[in-house]
Amino acid sequence: MTPESSIVLAAVVLPFLVAGLTPLLYRALGERVGYAGAAVAALCFGLLATQYGTEGIVEVAWIPSLEIALQFYVDGWGLLFASLASGIGTLIFLYSPSYMHGETGLARFYTALLAFMGSIVGVALAANLIAIFVFWELTSLCSFVLIGHHTGDEDSQYAARMAMFVTVGGGLFLLVGFLLLSIVAGDVLGPAAAFDLTAMLENPDAMESGLRDRGFFLPVLGLLAIGAGTKSAQVPVHFWLPNAMAAPTPVSAFLHSATMVKVGVYFLGRVRPLLVGVEWLLLFATVGLATMTVCALLAVAATDIKELLAYSTASHLGLMVAGFGFTSIYGAETGVFHLLNHALFKAALFLIAGIVAHEAGSRKLSELGGLRRDLPITAAMTVVVALSMGGIPPFNGFYSKELLFEAALEASHYHDIGALGWIYPAVAVFGSIFTVLYSLRFLSLFFGERPEELGEIHRPAIPLVAAPAVLTVLAAVVSVDPELAVRAAVQSGVDATAVDPHEMHVGLPTEYSTPVGMSAVAIVGGLVAYPFYDRLHTGIQTIPRAVPPASPSWWYGSLVDVLPRAGAGLAARVHNGLLRTYATWTLAATAAFALAGFAATGMISATGLGFEIPIAVALVLVVAVAAGLAVATSETHVAGVLTLSILGFMVAIFYILASAPDLALTQLVVETLVLLIFLLVIEEIPEFDESLGRTARDAVLSVAVGATVFVTVLVATDSRPGGTTDVARYYATRAVPEGGGTNIVNVTLVDFRGFDTLGELAVVALAAISILTLIVMRSSRGIEPGTESGPETEATDGGDDE
Amino acid sequence: MTTVIMRTTARVIVPIILVVAVTLFVEGHNLPGGGFIGGVLTTTAFAVIYLAFGLDFLERGVLGRDVEPGKEPSRDRVVVAYRRLFEYGLAIAVLSGLVPLLFDRPFLTQTFVEFEGVPIYDHVELASAVAFDLGVYCVVVGGLLTILSVVGAE
Repeated sequence: MTPESSIVLAAVVLPFLVAGLTPLLYRALGERVGYAGAAVAALCFGLLATQYGTEGIVEVAWIPSLEIALQFYVDGWGLLFASLASGIGTLIFLYSPSYMHGETGLARFYTALLAFMGSIVGVALAANLIAIFVFWELTSLCSFVLIGHHTGDEDSQYAARMAMFVTVGGGLFLLVGFLLLSIVAGDVLGPAAAFDLTAMLENPDAMESGLRDRGFFLPVLGLLAIGAGTKSAQVPVHFWLPNAMAAPTPVSAFLHSATMVKVGVYFLGRVRPLLVGVEWLLLFATVGLATMTVCALLAVAATDIKELLAYSTASHLGLMVAGFGFTSIYGAETGVFHLLNHALFKAALFLIAGIVAHEAGSRKLSELGGLRRDLPITAAMTVVVALSMGGIPPFNGFYSKELLFEAALEASHYHDIGALGWIYPAVAVFGSIFTVLYSLRFLSLFFGERPEELGEIHRPAIPLVAAPAVLTVLAAVVSVDPELAVRAAVQSGVDATAVDPHEMHVGLPTEYSTPVGMSAVAIVGGLVAYPFYDRLHTGIQTIPRAVPPASPSWWYGSLVDVLPRAGAGLAARVHNGLLRTYATWTLAATAAFALAGFAATGMISATGLGFEIPIAVALVLVVAVAAGLAVATSETHVAGVLTLSILGFMVAIFYILASAPDLALTQLVVETLVLLIFLLVIEEIPEFDESLGRTARDAVLSVAVGATVFVTVLVATDSRPGGTTDVARYYATRAVPEGGGTNIVNVTLVDFRGFDTLGELAVVALAAISILTLIVMRSSRGIEPGTESGPETEATDGGDDE
Repeated sequence: MTTVIMRTTARVIVPIILVVAVTLFVEGHNLPGGGFIGGVLTTTAFAVIYLAFGLDFLERGVLGRDVEPGKEPSRDRVVVAYRRLFEYGLAIAVLSGLVPLLFDRPFLTQTFVEFEGVPIYDHVELASAVAFDLGVYCVVVGGLLTILSVVGAE
């Protein structure tokens, strides 16, 4: 069955549309606008549900000339993720009005939340690389707004900036990876498939050999891994995710369970058939297991319930990444099934954490306990979801973790990976022990002694309990009958992410096998270690204090500290208010970049220059050189300006001799104007500074700029004096019939390249406006005229525009 | 600069420069010239006036208005006029580019018509690009004169 294009498009567009209207709705509905959001999310979910079981491409032309279309590919995997986002989104929207009651900035909050959901649905379904990238970065932007919801709060702003910095930065790596992919796809599969991920996934072998032939395989793998790893908070950039808990709890629940942090995992599953191999295994299994273990340890060290859950999210994301990293079918099953399970139990856990924080007024683990008497329903729900998080049978997290153990054991059968064959399973078990530990710790909020200082605890409002209850019921259903979930959603996801899909079975183990033994070790290990929880907790906490680089955000923190200082230092050097400094840096940088570019692309080669110069041209050039020397040695400004214009007029005559009257005319006119302007301002120019160092620097700079211009002309004109290029012939033959003018230069300027000319007009206008602004600003601030840079800027403008 | 020689010369050459500038602009499509060169040449004529007669001459001597002393240069009526000129120029250029969209052609598409047997000129060609070129001319004149007068006033 093929998907209905209007329904798929509606499901993606609707959240954005309503997001745009939310400020208006907020005026009409007030805080109840959250329920309108819930209706939209539910509608999205319903629309997606009608497409259940379909597979195919939906396409809308976007930038046809670049083969970029708004392509959506609907299949089991995309639908699973999109339905999770919209389904959990519905519950979050239902939960938010009660939780966010009385907060400010709600219109912005719901706008961003809706756009966030729409972007996630977009990423899940998009099949065009450019579309994926746009939605991908949109999720980062929306999360920036959401995490920074408390705009007055320093921590909130810091966390928002950090999330933005890490995820958008990672997105740029992804973009480069996409471009490399599209280059290869354009060559291998034809230009129409350049950005079409579906086409690439249909021809994985051709793509892989194409990537390997060009040496792009490892770069693409690495770039996509950075993109996905930053988004999904893998080690070593796992620090942003716990900070993101500065967001209001509904956002945390959404962000950590169903949406942005899973986008990376989802995307890995998507491209898995394309890139899977031994490099893939080594990279993602290692990164994933490292993340799983490190973050599980950090979760044990956490002191705040949301922090615990946040690190546990990162740890579980590591589990999914490791799952997809293993090349066997079990790997794909782990990734897909755990994505579903984690979304169910983690969303519920965050919402429960929100209830606890909201009703008990504290999020400190040490201040909470014995809440089951005050919050009995919540406690019952927590039993299901927390044990599920810990991977305790028969709860749903157990099944997918069992699959990870299976995949880790299988890894050495598929590839010769030496000692890693037993390190992977060992690390998986080690990490799982801590998973059990922190899951039990979270559960202990509701059991044991109730601290004295805990005040009276209110019953939570019905919507607050309803949302996690729905999720808990779903988690319980999956726990009781995992085969149901497999048949309904997981199998089709596995089909899309596995190389050799076959029927998947999960269930409680009936006899002993190695994975069962591993699970037993993890659970028993966790239970045995639990009495020593406090000692472990403080033990892990002391590590970063003793070794600062071991602390999660140490690298980010030092980088963020160093950059502004380095930036300020650089600005003081480059941007010191003296025109000559600006000119030096700009010219030197331009020359260096241009020359380096030519050198890197191998454009500089020994070229034979024909020195057949007519006498007239030679004479003009001799005069020009003499004038150039005279400029350099002139004693006064007036003499310098006059000799400089001799040079300019000689260039104009050279143009005439080279039969370019238009250029000559422009040169003459501009030269005259520049001369006049120089005469106008000559008294304002400060005296020469004759220090030896500065003269030497200027000499080096002049030679570099001259060399750059020379080489550029040589390369750009293909060093063929007298010969005509294709471009030149094109304009020469088309000018009269198409432009109706015999002056090719002007016809080119206004008819063929009108857009360039328009750009230049904008430059002239901008220059005028900026000079106007500069002077207005100066007079309004009352600064005395001193180092004025107007005329020089203007003179360069005139030159640049032709 | 405001010597008698300079002023006398300026009186003679400024009209010539302006006429040449207009000629260059009109002929641009078939002979060397065009909006940019015409614009720069026009600016040159104004620069000569400024050099020979001072910055206030345009307002006092040509337009016959009183100059308000101590006014910010950017608020000067002449400067405002120049600013408007390049703003309109940019608008003309963009609008002339938008017209083809009405005929379902890409942005900035240009065309031309030829008339035969017109009195005196005999053969006249009208190119739509003239409108765009006029925009170029206005932006160049307006932009450069804004810069010139504002900086000159300092």
